[in-house]
Amino acid sequence: MNNESSTTATLRGNAGVAEVLGRSYAAGFVTDIEMTGLPPGLSEETVRQISAIKQEPAWMTEWRLGAYRHWLTMPKPDWAKLNIEPIDYQAISYYAAPKAGPKSLAEVDPALLETYEKLGIPLHERAALAGVAVDAVFDSVSVGTTFRKQLAEAGVLFCSMSEAIREYPELVRKYLGSVVPTGDNFFAALNSAVFSDGSFVFIPKGVRCPMELSTYFRINAQNTGQFERTLIVAEEGSHVSYLEGCTAPKRDENQLHAAVVELVALEKAQIKYSTVQNWYPGDENGVGGIYNFVTKRGDCRGDDSKISWTQVETGSAITWKYPSVVLRGDRSVGEFYSVALTHHFQQADTGTKMIHLGKHTKSKIVAKGISAGRSSNSYRGLVKMEKGADGARNYTQCDSLLIGKKCGAHTFPYMEVKNPTAIVEHEATTSKISDDQMFYCRSRGISEEDAVSMIVDGFCKQVFRELPMEFAVEAKKLLEVSLEGAVG
Amino acid sequence: MSQPAPLPLVESLLDAPLPVSGIAWLDAARQQNREAFAAGGLPDTRVEAWKYTALRALAQRRFAHGDAAAATRAVDTSTFALPGVEGPRLVFVNGVFRADLSAVDRLPAGLTLQPLSQALRGDAEPLRFVLARPALIGDVREAGDAFARVNAASAVDGVVLRVAANVKVAAPVQLVFVGAAAEVELAWHLRNVIELGEGAELSLVEQHVSGDGPAQLATLVSDIEVRGGARLHHTLLQSVAVGTNLIRRSSVRLHARAHAMLHVLELGGALVRHDLRAELIGDGARFDTRGVFMPHGRQHIDTQLAIRHQALNTASTSNWRGVANDRARGVFRGAIVVAPGADGSDASLSNKNLLLSPGAEIDTKPELEIYADEVKAAHGATVGQLDERSLFYLRSRGIPLAEARALLTAAFCRAVLDDLPNEALREHLSVMLVAQLPNA
Repeated sequence: MNNESSTTATLRGNAGVAEVLGRSYAAGFVTDIEMTGLPPGLSEETVRQISAIKQEPAWMTEWRLGAYRHWLTMPKPDWAKLNIEPIDYQAISYYAAPKAGPKSLAEVDPALLETYEKLGIPLHERAALAGVAVDAVFDSVSVGTTFRKQLAEAGVLFCSMSEAIREYPELVRKYLGSVVPTGDNFFAALNSAVFSDGSFVFIPKGVRCPMELSTYFRINAQNTGQFERTLIVAEEGSHVSYLEGCTAPKRDENQLHAAVVELVALEKAQIKYSTVQNWYPGDENGVGGIYNFVTKRGDCRGDDSKISWTQVETGSAITWKYPSVVLRGDRSVGEFYSVALTHHFQQADTGTKMIHLGKHTKSKIVAKGISAGRSSNSYRGLVKMEKGADGARNYTQCDSLLIGKKCGAHTFPYMEVKNPTAIVEHEATTSKISDDQMFYCRSRGISEEDAVSMIVDGFCKQVFRELPMEFAVEAKKLLEVSLEGAVG
Repeated sequence: MSQPAPLPLVESLLDAPLPVSGIAWLDAARQQNREAFAAGGLPDTRVEAWKYTALRALAQRRFAHGDAAAATRAVDTSTFALPGVEGPRLVFVNGVFRADLSAVDRLPAGLTLQPLSQALRGDAEPLRFVLARPALIGDVREAGDAFARVNAASAVDGVVLRVAANVKVAAPVQLVFVGAAAEVELAWHLRNVIELGEGAELSLVEQHVSGDGPAQLATLVSDIEVRGGARLHHTLLQSVAVGTNLIRRSSVRLHARAHAMLHVLELGGALVRHDLRAELIGDGARFDTRGVFMPHGRQHIDTQLAIRHQALNTASTSNWRGVANDRARGVFRGAIVVAPGADGSDASLSNKNLLLSPGAEIDTKPELEIYADEVKAAHGATVGQLDERSLFYLRSRGIPLAEARALLTAAFCRAVLDDLPNEALREHLSVMLVAQLPNA
């Protein structure tokens, strides 16, 4: 993080601009590492092979096959405001892993460690200083999880999903697919069939997780899709904060990422889930980039529970993502804070769903969309007050900022209210950076780039405040880099 | 979304004999629309525009086509008499023009007001552009336009209203669409063409009324062209009986510096739908809408408002209120699109709703689609209850709870009538609103 924060500092001065211009997508390098994997193609056999490689029990294989068969019957969703080139699901490799499988962190291939070092992810000795437990997922497999011992002492289970299926099958079996069923939607079904790895977190009753947990996803291999599956279960009265980051190399073809994240919060439990999504967005001509189709859903199963999503979305050629909360328990709370930035030819259709079932449930949505270049940025959200949601409340605020004449910013909020004691409020605005704001900054000697980045920073402040500190720094920097070339 | 077994509604609509006008292009357009409807069928709730309005129940009914007795049915003219509206009038009963109920004998100079059937017997060519529009035929798999296609195939009458350039029509023109109780369940269709020439001014009152009796299905499609600098005040009052299903589409096109203001009261009906589309195609055009929908009982009232800013410095404001009671459902979509290059657009939309009963439902969806950066666009929507503090204030001054509620609900709805210029009409509509309230 050190050299990165200094970059942020120099950005403040005009000298930093030139540096930023040269940077564009810093995470775009390729790690040259020996890989093993499955050839491209998808069939029942592929699903069985993945399950076999991961030495899964029979019930898991059946679960995957059930999802696969269901997927075959499902139509591709076409309701989002996205132009998606047809995806050839047979051209994708569904499993890729570094050849030398690590036994422990000490044995991790140095090339891999270097990769994470370059990305600023503390996997090894630096981990102790950072104080964040990390699970790193490289293509299809988890390459290492730090701080296992300290976490185990607190009773927290934090490991890769493959490991969890082997070590804690009863927990996985109880919760996996209980929030996002295998047939939930097209991409969730695909994920259920072929997911390769991901993180598993279990916080037992009454435990406050002693440190921030984090997963870092990296796509490296060519022609692969990444399908990770994350499951977080917070038992009664527990508390956890989880961070997620992602990057991929620059490539000319589009790569598919279809993840599923399930959160379960039991009585009085709290889960905070933060994402900085920086998959490769494609170049300035719209060539390449990740297709990011993600299903994220939290279930406030117990009374007085709370789930909070915070996301900063700057990457991916296409983002299709709606982190949601089902507010089942009475007095449960759901939150969604989002900054989505699109530039060049990026397309984002993202938002949230707040499904109020319990009494006196509350939800808050703050979504900030920034569009530049020729990009398209849509907020799509649903707030649903079911019959039993007595006294439930929702407040939604969506703001869009347009930078340039060729981009689009859209807002599609759905409100469905069936309870006469519930209150739903929605507000949205769309504007551009005003000439007055620019003139004010310019007259004080602030360069155009810096002025834009200051104004954008202010526009997003409400969301950045919700991010853990290091992520907030990274997010801010990402916005600056992503907006490079957007003005003038 | 074609269904394996033909739905009774579709069957009965397709059974109706296709009207023959003797005008080649019109008969061809009717034929094409009939075929498009037969191929596309009815939209189901998977079609986005019909997500909250299910046609399942309606689709199981059969409606007879046309009413042979329409020309002679007794209609109580007091059902559509309005204070402040005593000008030219066109009345249609069950889809048929009624000269005896209309008032077209002393039209001011520059105003053309006649039934479509009559206009087509004269020079039909000026209507060709509107009536033979190919847009509805387009993609037959698209079921969202089903009723517009039915209308285009089957409507033989409607309003033709023209105001010549620079003519200011002083008295409001009244258009009345009556559904009179027939012996059978009846379907009827009307097609309206309205045009204001450059610099013209018109105040228009559109009324939908019906009597109790067997259910009816009415479709109305209106095209309203407001030419450069023209001004239109349009008030729409819908208070049909609970057995009437009313499906309408109004398309308004506004040219340079044209201004249209629309006030809408949706009070009656069984399944009621209004697709209201406005295109601001000339620089400096302005479109203002105010509306209130108050479904009660088991009514379903759906308003789909879509405003498209396509030119420079255009403006629109929309202020809509909904009150749903009993087991009723209110649906509102308010979409604002600012097209590429429509710099200087200023759009705002507000939809506030009250839910008065545990069985009622409100579904609202304000949308913004913005493709230009020199714009101001904002929308807001709320669903909730009356303000507890206001209720407390009134009660602390000795006003009983029920009355306090009625008072506050009335005030909530009346806000949309504030800028209705015709004072006598405004007062009358306020009274109608209050009468519709529970506990009134």
